[in-house]
Amino acid sequence: MTTTMTTPATFMVENCAMPFCKGCGHSHVLRKLNDALTKLQIPPSKVNLVTDIGCIGLADAMFETPHTVHTTHGRSTAFATGIELADSVLSDSKLKTIVLIGDGGAMIGLLHLVNAALLNADVTVLLCNNFLFGMTGGQHSAFSPLEFITPTTPDGNIIPPIDMCRVMMDARAEYVARKLATDKDLGEVIAEAIQHPGFAMVEIVELCTEHATGKNELTGNEIRNVIEEQGQEFGILSSATSRAEFGVLYADKNPRDQAYASEKGDDGIIPQYQSTLKQQVGIVIAGSAGERVQSAAKKLCEAAVVSNLHCTQKNDNPVTQGSGFSLSEVIISPNEIFYTGIETPDAVIVVSEDGMNELHEKHLLDRLTKSTVLILDSSLMKPHTEANIIEYPFRKEFGGAKAAMKAIEFYVKQSEVFPVEALAPVT
Amino acid sequence: MNHTQTSIKLRTGNQMIAEGAVKAGCRFFAGYPITPASGIYKSMIELLQRKGDLAISSPDEISALAYCVGASLRGYKAMTATSGPGWALMIETVQYALMTETPLVIAMVQRLGPSTGGATQGAQGDVLLTEFCTSGGYTIPVLCPSTPLECYELTVLAFSWAELLRTPVVILTDKEVGMTTESVNYEQLQLLHAAERISHLQKPTNGRDKAKTYEFSRLSDIPKFAPVGGMLKVTATGSAHNKSGELKKNDAETLEVLHHLEEKIKRRKDGLAIVKRDVEPEANTLLISYGITARAMEEAIHIARKQGRKVSGLHLLTLFPVPEKQILNSLGQVKRVVIAEENLSGQYRSVISHLMKTQEVVGINKIGSMITPQEILKEVL
Repeated sequence: MTTTMTTPATFMVENCAMPFCKGCGHSHVLRKLNDALTKLQIPPSKVNLVTDIGCIGLADAMFETPHTVHTTHGRSTAFATGIELADSVLSDSKLKTIVLIGDGGAMIGLLHLVNAALLNADVTVLLCNNFLFGMTGGQHSAFSPLEFITPTTPDGNIIPPIDMCRVMMDARAEYVARKLATDKDLGEVIAEAIQHPGFAMVEIVELCTEHATGKNELTGNEIRNVIEEQGQEFGILSSATSRAEFGVLYADKNPRDQAYASEKGDDGIIPQYQSTLKQQVGIVIAGSAGERVQSAAKKLCEAAVVSNLHCTQKNDNPVTQGSGFSLSEVIISPNEIFYTGIETPDAVIVVSEDGMNELHEKHLLDRLTKSTVLILDSSLMKPHTEANIIEYPFRKEFGGAKAAMKAIEFYVKQSEVFPVEALAPVT
Repeated sequence: MNHTQTSIKLRTGNQMIAEGAVKAGCRFFAGYPITPASGIYKSMIELLQRKGDLAISSPDEISALAYCVGASLRGYKAMTATSGPGWALMIETVQYALMTETPLVIAMVQRLGPSTGGATQGAQGDVLLTEFCTSGGYTIPVLCPSTPLECYELTVLAFSWAELLRTPVVILTDKEVGMTTESVNYEQLQLLHAAERISHLQKPTNGRDKAKTYEFSRLSDIPKFAPVGGMLKVTATGSAHNKSGELKKNDAETLEVLHHLEEKIKRRKDGLAIVKRDVEPEANTLLISYGITARAMEEAIHIARKQGRKVSGLHLLTLFPVPEKQILNSLGQVKRVVIAEENLSGQYRSVISHLMKTQEVVGINKIGSMITPQEILKEVL
């Protein structure tokens, strides 16, 4: 399909009246963004403006032809990242996604900025820093200079401002710049940021003429000094291309293979034996973490399926996963299993002290009846119970790592729940 | 031995949600680890990455869902999975998806709350939190599987609903459904195909045609979708907007859009209801349950009938929109309706009890472990 696209002279609404206050830097930024897009000759359908909340979020309506996505406060970069990742990996349409965010949004969404930079997602963030929350009455932000007077810092701000350019560079962003909204070359810098393959951030320092002046006796000419006095630099602070963007790296690692069968190498289990089991049996297997208790229980399940039985398995262990007890509850049944809990187990297998302690903890041993088989490693102390206790030195004979599997094999032979040969292919 | 060729796999509900998602054409997953939902994340990484589709980690649940919304706006089916604490963070973005009419599937695997609660303990305590999380109280379709098979099938369906209705849809399970491994007979899997969103035709234009992002004529109509990045210009916003997606305050068309968001679901509610009815005409008791507890209910019914007792059961596979018609049709002559769920206050009971005009309504409620068949049996008349 050939697409003929004339590059428009403007991306903006014709004769658009900016909704911003007189002298507000946002008007400059949007015009410079338009200059950059026009200069780059990107088809408008390949431009996507993602806006945040606040005055800068009014930008959508100023643009006639690019896609616009107006989002929630601080989250614009995250939505933009999702759009860009899907575009670069799933479609590769080279959509240019540009975020317009204020200083308030940048702090709420700091994590999203940091992660987009770490990913090196091909997103361009234009951070319009006017030192405060303009739309809600001029409250101070994380970007307010020291001694800045606002309704929420009436005696002057005592918290130092964040240096977002430095944060972005520490997050491995490769294109980072700080400009004044009134800089003549702002359009060129924005164009460069958009063209940069991978994440780019331009902090644009501006004056909120409604809230920042007055008590602060601040003028447009002085904001450069304010920034520099707080140790922050202007200009293009980084423009490296030392690492590939996320979409490229991901595609290298995960080449497209839509035909990949989801079941490749996993054909399932084909029943080969017939069990004579008439009703559901609940088995609890308890031992120590790292001694293959849960994997032995899984083998019991696989063997049950080979024997044409239904099964369920629940595992339990401490949250640390690698220490303490390890426990599995297995139900095998000739019929469909509804309730997956075991109220009174038919068999309990305990192969270590950790396992025994956990069964005491759960008061499970109190629930055993005369018809329960309790298979114990000989090293363990016999509990007081009505259950039919069978002891065997599993640990001594086979070692801790095989004790659970051997005890299961012992149980299957002893109980004849299914032919013991069913365990063979899996053990 | 008729079953010799039957292929059976050991699967958790979490794994089957992932397999269902891939079957439904999900090509984007963003995840953040949380017990008991992490199995879905792990499976989606395996299943999508080897096809070259996109499954990635995110730095938090807010980002996970925002990434998914972004991918869906770009035109791809997307899903994430979480549990109560992660859901709490996602609510802002669920609302955004609803407001922007962005198709999306979220698997919500419940655990014991409140707050961090019990990571490895099951519960059905997030039913109301899941449904009533939007300002304005809009209906979010909630499907509620109880077995690995249902996890697969309802996930495919969740994608169809999300795409066709252009809205976020939740698959609500819990730790016991999500993390219990069960034998699954793959021959019993229904051959399901998920629907695709209805989209505008994309044609190259020399000028710049705009999609009316939220255009509808009747309130319940679903606007045609246009992807961000396509030929038609998209104007999307989470703020109150007119049919063109332009931010507006309280004009007639904007209010109409806000009505439409609910109306498109409400008008279809009878078709968005799935229940399993097991009704005995002479029964005095109707048991109602959902999710993991519905399986205890089914076992209780089985036991009761073996004892010669008459009892009816209604297993809800969808919770919202409330399957009112199906519930009313199941009441018959029963004197007592027993609603079993694993939370203390009877969350779903509080939603449906008004439907029972003449019957006694009883709740079976508990936390800390699954409700047992015996506990349900006690309440059968």
